Amino acid sequence: MTTIQQRDGAPVTGPRPRRRSRLRRMRDDWWIYLFLLPTLVGYGAYTIYPLVASWWYAFLDWPGFAATGTFVGIENFDRLMDDELFWNAFWNSIVFLVISVPLRVGLALALALVLNRKKTPFKGFFRTLFFLPVVTTGAIVGIVFTLLLDASGPVSGALVWSGLTDTPVNFAAEAETSLYSGIAVWVWKWLGITLIYWLAALQTIPADVHEAAMIDGAGAWREFRHVTLPMLVPFLVIITLIDTVAALNVFDLMQTLTAGGPSFSSEVIEIFIFRTAFGATVPQLGYASAAAVLFGLLTMLIAVVQAVGIRWARRRTGSA
Amino acid sequence: MGQHRRDLGRHISRRQLIGTSSAAALAAVLAGCTGGGQSSAGNGGGGGGGKNGPLQWWDQFRPLTDLFEKDLFGAYTKKHPDVEVERRQMPAADLGQALQIARRSNQLPDVHSTAGLGSSTAALVREGWFQPIGGFVDVAGSPVGDLLYDGIHRFDGEIYGFPAFSGRWHEHAPWFNTALLQQAGVDPEEEPATWDDFRAVARRITQGTDDGVFGMVIPMKEPPFLDTLVNKFAMTAGAPGPGGVDWATGEYVLDSQEYVDAVEYLVSLQEDGVIHPASASMGPRDARARWAAGQAAIYPWGPWFIGGLLVDEPEAVERGVGVWHIPTPQTARNFIYEAPQPGTFWVSAESEQPELAAEILLQMTTREFQAELAAAMDVFPALIDVVADADVHPAYARCATYFQEDIRFGPSPEVGNPGVARVNSEMRDVHPNVGEIAQSVLTGSASDIKGELARYNDKLSAERERALKAVQEDGAEVDLNAWVFANWDPNTDYDQTAYGQR
Repeated sequence: MTTIQQRDGAPVTGPRPRRRSRLRRMRDDWWIYLFLLPTLVGYGAYTIYPLVASWWYAFLDWPGFAATGTFVGIENFDRLMDDELFWNAFWNSIVFLVISVPLRVGLALALALVLNRKKTPFKGFFRTLFFLPVVTTGAIVGIVFTLLLDASGPVSGALVWSGLTDTPVNFAAEAETSLYSGIAVWVWKWLGITLIYWLAALQTIPADVHEAAMIDGAGAWREFRHVTLPMLVPFLVIITLIDTVAALNVFDLMQTLTAGGPSFSSEVIEIFIFRTAFGATVPQLGYASAAAVLFGLLTMLIAVVQAVGIRWARRRTGSA
Repeated sequence: MGQHRRDLGRHISRRQLIGTSSAAALAAVLAGCTGGGQSSAGNGGGGGGGKNGPLQWWDQFRPLTDLFEKDLFGAYTKKHPDVEVERRQMPAADLGQALQIARRSNQLPDVHSTAGLGSSTAALVREGWFQPIGGFVDVAGSPVGDLLYDGIHRFDGEIYGFPAFSGRWHEHAPWFNTALLQQAGVDPEEEPATWDDFRAVARRITQGTDDGVFGMVIPMKEPPFLDTLVNKFAMTAGAPGPGGVDWATGEYVLDSQEYVDAVEYLVSLQEDGVIHPASASMGPRDARARWAAGQAAIYPWGPWFIGGLLVDEPEAVERGVGVWHIPTPQTARNFIYEAPQPGTFWVSAESEQPELAAEILLQMTTREFQAELAAAMDVFPALIDVVADADVHPAYARCATYFQEDIRFGPSPEVGNPGVARVNSEMRDVHPNVGEIAQSVLTGSASDIKGELARYNDKLSAERERALKAVQEDGAEVDLNAWVFANWDPNTDYDQTAYGQR
């Protein structure tokens, strides 16, 4: 590399090149934008537009049979506040979330710890086995489990045979058990993908850290509690977030497994929205959109409260 | 030429070449696509197949696929080789969703049924979904001309549709497996006429057959099935109908003793242990599959039962299938009330080939086609008398006879006053409805049948009041009297004359 120097040795600082205007840059580098265009069009059409549209629809009275709706302000939100079935679906979704996410994250971590051990035999086989349900379509899983969990199915049959229950149980079709059946099937179906996340996370922990803990005389539990777990916390946050989002997208499974019934006992918010938008005698697109928007807002509110709570707890315990 | 190419290569850089090619490809893709991801070729801009494209036809009649392809479209296109018809068949619920989406994206087919839409055709006509066909073909002079009603097929003097099927049917004839009845020592000819007789027979079948076989199956997963079942049982107990309205006062009577009795009757069947224990997890098609597999002997479903079996489980028909009247509480039988059959197919307002659509539709009104329709054993054809001479299963023919004995046409408020359609469009669904209440009771999450029905009846009445007020403020001339039919005779059809004399 050559540097031009003045006679006194100071480097020459020529005139700084003029910065191109935004318009000029766009004109010169048009092909960059061209290559971005498909992504922008796709993202705009299938993500941004539906998002914005659902907000707009939420302010319309729009019977599904009409070509357009009429603006009614916040009337749809007003009605939702008094709609028992909306709140029923809202709480069902929250219960689903609160039970299923810790279950999925925790079970997957436990399995990952076992499958990450050198001594565990057939690790590849078991990883494949746990991952298989992940690649099975949710709707198919729902249909199959309808048969497995009904009163004449093998699960109920085994319970009756073993004497644990006197009468056959329709797990997915009884009000007391339908939502929990959905949770159990959902956790089973998606356990494999969370397991993979955890296995990847565990492999980022250097082996010498484990060896050091062993040399220091830490048992398996203490090693996990004081060495492994702290190093997994960043992954825990991400994995929990991913699973939380997934727990709010359970339509295919729940629709085929229980269809929200019986008596709305397992109706999660997505089924409420679908029923309102497509299943009603007069479909109400505006009302369904308002339900989606309100649920989104309430979920965000809960997330913010949760985040604030965690920060407060950390500060209080001095672990921040 | 070679020199020219080289010059061109020097002037266009590789980046420019790739960029230009990509732009062209993208433009081609965008130009070739419509909103629904379908090619717009041949689409004249409106719905359906455009002016010159194939006639687009959507419906839900799976058992009629061969009939439509060969005897309706095939016969017509043979005479008119330039005509092409593209039919899509889908389940009713999917069809309803597809139609709603197609409507909003101007992609409605030229001809479609209204299955899955849930709304009355009067409301759809008012929303501008259809166009009249009476100006293209002589529907009024056709064999089904006498079956046309104002407010159902004719609006503002224009004929929009006609019934291809009979209105004299209901959803819950007890179809039985003759082999299982014989195994249980039940003579299929000894019809259980009353609710008690029916219970006794169901018990005998459950006890007299192998383990895992039950007297009957009732798909409880879908409340609409239970809704119609309770309504039909309530009518056999003497409730007015259709719609649970007392025609003397116009008030809803969905909490009357007949409705309570109907739900209690279902509960009694369940308590007897004669209903397949997995019924709560079954939809209607699942239940039919279980019935066909020999897990239950009786399945209360509509006249399309055999036609559906022939498509999916033909061996069940060969094994033996029969049908009884729907049982009634007493030996003196009450009638089931149905509204006149609405139009079956409609020509979309977006269609640019309405005349062709109307001509093809009119072929469905001939006695020959009606006989073919009967042979497919779906819903009975509009000219129901053709069933007697058609090539059908004896149980199907028997079912047609039973329905003619059991069913009467009740009043239809929409025929009496067009404003009712506006009220119905304005009314929002009320939950839990009769079917949902029955589901709650049968799955053990509710027990106060009378109380639940009374709450529903009150909420439904209040919702109608609200809707009435809303449409009245909007200028509609309709009030509660639109639901009053003082001259209704429970023993006869409420026909055109009765509407005139009201």
